[in-house]
Amino acid sequence: MRWYERIAAIDRRIIYIILSVLVIIPFFIPFTMKQNIMPQTQRLYNFIDSLPPNDKAIILSLDYTPQTMPETHPMAIAILSHCFAKNIPVVGMSFDPQAPGLAIDAFTTVVDGINLNALTREDSVIYGEDYVYLGWKSGRVAAEIQMGESIADVFPRDYFSISIDSLPLMQRVKNYKQVSIAIIIAGADYPQDWILYPQARYGVRVGAGLTAVMSPKYYPFLQTGQLSGLLSGMKGAAEYETLLLKNGYVKQLGKAETGMNSQSLIHILIIVFIILGNIGFFFSRKRK
Amino acid sequence: MKRKIPLAICLIMGVVMIIQFFIPHPISLAFNRTINNWVIVLMAFALILAIGNLIRHHGIRISHRQANWPYSAVTLLGMFAMAIIGLIWGIEPESLYQKIYLNIFAPLSASMFALLAYYMTSAAYRAFKARSLEATLLLASAFVVMIGFMPFAQYLHPRLPAFAEWIMQVPNMASQRGILFGIAFGAIATAMKIILGIERSWLGGKE
Repeated sequence: MRWYERIAAIDRRIIYIILSVLVIIPFFIPFTMKQNIMPQTQRLYNFIDSLPPNDKAIILSLDYTPQTMPETHPMAIAILSHCFAKNIPVVGMSFDPQAPGLAIDAFTTVVDGINLNALTREDSVIYGEDYVYLGWKSGRVAAEIQMGESIADVFPRDYFSISIDSLPLMQRVKNYKQVSIAIIIAGADYPQDWILYPQARYGVRVGAGLTAVMSPKYYPFLQTGQLSGLLSGMKGAAEYETLLLKNGYVKQLGKAETGMNSQSLIHILIIVFIILGNIGFFFSRKRK
Repeated sequence: MKRKIPLAICLIMGVVMIIQFFIPHPISLAFNRTINNWVIVLMAFALILAIGNLIRHHGIRISHRQANWPYSAVTLLGMFAMAIIGLIWGIEPESLYQKIYLNIFAPLSASMFALLAYYMTSAAYRAFKARSLEATLLLASAFVVMIGFMPFAQYLHPRLPAFAEWIMQVPNMASQRGILFGIAFGAIATAMKIILGIERSWLGGKE
């Protein structure tokens, strides 16, 4: 077997072993690479950062599932950290039946982290006053439209079966008029429904956090301004974490940074193997 | 009659819902509110139907001892166990339901999806070849976007991240916009055909 035939026929088990090693390395040997911030990440960050504290709420629709969790869960944690650090009220909800477990975990992780170090009421985050989680609802599009008239119509009770009329935050957030932006974090095409229906009818601003494979579809909406910002995949989450650290909202980077290091190493591996495959292919063809 | 009544309901509701979208009158809004609540309830019933279908499908597989029937038993066991645990002990952050979800279901689902990385790497190595001009262009743009979106791309060349972003913002966006327009026109045409009763396959059965 000639050298170019050999590099074009590497056993897949060798590829799998190298890939496994490269994924694991950043978890045991941590290193930080400077993130170049993409404009759409900066736009979403700037928008949230410009909101006045204790004013209009942010709707955070957490519609991701465990399959896309490594990319989307850090986004949810980063946005929640930003909102709570700025005292921006958050109304959480889900329209994917698999999502509530992860949504609750995102809220618990951020809230527990803040309240652990809180000394006063101003430092702490309280359920019902600073944030609520309304749970899952069927009939996604109809529910999104109906919330423009009344959120209580769609979610009469929250995730914990508490009547939302009894929650102080929901007494002042009745519909989209009291909402500054709806941010949808998903691994599927959910943000488009928000643009097509609630935004077209009620003018609600929409932001999104999507898996890298979904993001290219949303660039036209960014250009038209229908999307106020976009976090694209693990890179988007890592960039948002970097912005939070740079501006003093958090003390350390989150999980997206480590994940991004693994992902970068895998991308290099893929590029190297594609080059090797093409060298082998090129010389084989030339010989024929 | 069995076909005419559904077609009439479809025509009336289709036209009324289009008109009400553009008229923010209290009567129109009240009508929209009622219809939206109906849709939410109907979708919840669709879930019950799906659960019923799942039980029926896997129940038959188990009772007939079809190939791989133990997997069907695990599916039904998992579904009923999670429902019972959630109903009895609740779904709060510290509950057993949440612990099972986060420590068993989530890692298993994520692991299944993570296997894609192995297949993708192996498939890219074997199949991603510069066989033609189109394939070479695809390969080159994929390289630029992949490298440009890596954190260290700025050290390779300071303008590489911006170039990768340009590929996404201009050629990608142009093609995505074309696709979106195509989908939108197709959706409008199909919706009109359904509302006007030209497209009747949704009724099931023969013409």
